[in-house]
Amino acid sequence: MNNWFKSGAPWVWLSAGGVSISLISVLGLLWLIASRGLSYFWPADLYQFEMTAADGKNLTVIGEIYDRESIPVAQLAHLELNIDPITKTIERLLIKTGNRELVSLDFRWILVPQINETLLPEALVVIERRTNGNFYGYIDDIILDGQSVSLDKMPELLARVSAFQKQIARLQSSDIGAINYQIERARLQERKHKLDGTLTDELQKEISSNVSKLQAEYQVLERQLLVLREQVARDQIVVRAMDGQKVNINLADVLQVTFNNQLSFFGKLKLFFSQVAAFVTDDPREANTEGGVFPAIFGTVLMVLLMTVIVSPLGVMAAIYLHEYAGNNALTKLLRIAVINLAGVPSIVYGVFGLGFFVYMVGGSLDQLFYQETLPSPTFGTPGVMWSAITLAILTLPVVIVSTEEGLSRIPSAMRHGSLALGATKAETLWRIILPIASPAIMTGIILAIARAAGEVAPLMLVGVVKMAPNLPLDGNFPFLHLDRKFMHLGFHIYDVGFQSPNVEAARPLVYATALLLVSIIVALNMTAVSIRNRLREKYRLLEH
Amino acid sequence: MISVTPKNLSAHNVKLDLNNLSPEQVALEIKNLDLYYGNKQALQNISMSIPKGQVTAFIGPSGCGKSTLLRCINRMNDLVDSCKITGQIKLNGENIFHRHTDVAALRRKVGMVFQRPNPFPKSIYENVVYGLRITGENNRRVLDEAVETSLRSAALWNEVKDRLHESALGLSGGQQQRLVIARAIAIEPEVLLLDEPTSALDPISTLTIEELINDLKQQFTVVIVTHNMQQAARVSDQTAFMYMGDLIEYSDTNTLFTTPRQKKTEDYITGRYG
Repeated sequence: MNNWFKSGAPWVWLSAGGVSISLISVLGLLWLIASRGLSYFWPADLYQFEMTAADGKNLTVIGEIYDRESIPVAQLAHLELNIDPITKTIERLLIKTGNRELVSLDFRWILVPQINETLLPEALVVIERRTNGNFYGYIDDIILDGQSVSLDKMPELLARVSAFQKQIARLQSSDIGAINYQIERARLQERKHKLDGTLTDELQKEISSNVSKLQAEYQVLERQLLVLREQVARDQIVVRAMDGQKVNINLADVLQVTFNNQLSFFGKLKLFFSQVAAFVTDDPREANTEGGVFPAIFGTVLMVLLMTVIVSPLGVMAAIYLHEYAGNNALTKLLRIAVINLAGVPSIVYGVFGLGFFVYMVGGSLDQLFYQETLPSPTFGTPGVMWSAITLAILTLPVVIVSTEEGLSRIPSAMRHGSLALGATKAETLWRIILPIASPAIMTGIILAIARAAGEVAPLMLVGVVKMAPNLPLDGNFPFLHLDRKFMHLGFHIYDVGFQSPNVEAARPLVYATALLLVSIIVALNMTAVSIRNRLREKYRLLEH
Repeated sequence: MISVTPKNLSAHNVKLDLNNLSPEQVALEIKNLDLYYGNKQALQNISMSIPKGQVTAFIGPSGCGKSTLLRCINRMNDLVDSCKITGQIKLNGENIFHRHTDVAALRRKVGMVFQRPNPFPKSIYENVVYGLRITGENNRRVLDEAVETSLRSAALWNEVKDRLHESALGLSGGQQQRLVIARAIAIEPEVLLLDEPTSALDPISTLTIEELINDLKQQFTVVIVTHNMQQAARVSDQTAFMYMGDLIEYSDTNTLFTTPRQKKTEDYITGRYG
């Protein structure tokens, strides 16, 4: 035993144990969010339960099994169940029954002992809708232009409707959106001239003729939109719910109709991937509890990229000053300690600072100076994607400074001397020799900054993130990148969907799916940066002397 | 006394009177040079004239100040914060320590090669043209030509001509050192300072570099620091022996090694210390 202790083996075991625990935590975390998140997209079996309730009535429950658990019988004493007293626990199932227009709750618990018969009828259908969530039931009839048609026509009809929907969306967001934007700009232009006192009669006339032209265009588009809406509204399907009620669903409202129980494994796989793709590319619906998360992905990535663009030059310049130019004295040491301590400031504090300094002070002044025509509604004097990026840039600045400085100090002085001895000035040496060699270290700093920034939520809630942003910060209207706009963020989306939504139970899988997506995006951003760094490393590898 | 035969003595049988050089013969004139690192004096009242187109060697035990003196000539000591210099070094009659001296321009006139090869992590080609690019030369033809001439002068052309655009770090130590020499002579300096250029190299590379030094003095004034007396005897025309920051003896190599005037010099070259 003593020998074993002396041999150092316990330390090897201990350190290996540390590594194993870290590895298990990481894999466990990934496994949990991946399995929970991805199962959300897998087409579930649709069950029909024939059961007898406690009061002796027969009823049918249709839906997906969402969760199951065992509970002690004692907990259900108030139901006065007729259960064998020997059993201590009974199993109950959480069924997602959907059909929000018929029952207020999407979910209901059923007790397994009450089930008489469990069926997987092939004709059972799940209809994914734009509003009111899923509908589970049987299709009774399809009505096309007031006439009933065969069920086979369904895919064709759906394709037609979705084409119309796409047209409508395009009309609404790009064409009509662009006209509204231009009208608003014309209005602002007029106001600006009025404020500057340069509004002449000709100018006024020009602007109003412009506006009326735009309004005429708008009306044309609006009429087109109406026609499309009518087109889309004329087809319906009649479905029968679990309690026999018939419901008419407008095809315009239908996203997808699937007979889950008829699908083969590959059919399900195909559906799974199309659901994942829809999740990644669609806009959210129903207060974020359904649909996709595209705006949040876009917002997250754009904000992180903006942050990187801001923090990299700033951090590198600060590190160069500290390492190359500042004298090696107490003040420099103090500065360095201050920089390192900045990394320890809680992120919400940066959020408060960003709101107080950037948004209200800097943004407010910018509005006073350049956007007077829109006042009192603020342009930059309100949270937005630029302020978020800048706030996070300040937050991640220490990371970039520290790793750049480390990189600079690792460069052998022979490199500097070699360059200086050839008649290069200090600046030329820095630019041509030192910075390229330090670039892998700079990239390391940027990688760490990205990893930190992409995961931050708290400060963003103060300086630019919103639950639902009507527009992306990047669109087809000049100047294309709208830095003043608010944006959506995956991290905040998780919080919002998981804890602020009206239907927390339904949103739970979405929380996992969004978390998985956030992790994947951060990993993807990091991998890109890591591969750039490795290429730089290869290029500027110094021979080991 | 160790037996050394200065092999280039026959080629340069015109002995120069080092105390009485005509202005055209002088490349560098050092006058009453004192150097302090903080409070410690590292060089004491050094005065000497280094003749043009010849190889001058500084020898002496470790810490005697020979490298420090060499680094004064292209003002590399400026990089040491605590370093203070009084006295003069004149290059073409102008004091290099003058307030208005353009240090970068001075270093273009006085090239330097360090103990360890220090090629930049760039291609061979880019290493050689680095100094030219600094001066703003970007003409492809000029650069190509400079690369070929300097690599030929550094006796490296034949070995690398087919891989000019590969990384310089792939070369062997001796090749790297010759590349660094090529890099230094590409900007056509007047003086070339070599700071123990072979101390990190194997004997064969050392030999190549020594032969190279012999060729280089056709074009440049060469000042070499070496801890290797045989090397000083083989390559140099003049030798200066330094000890504890003092210039003890300075004369033509043959004289210094065969009939040293000072006791300290004799002790050193006979291996009694150092």
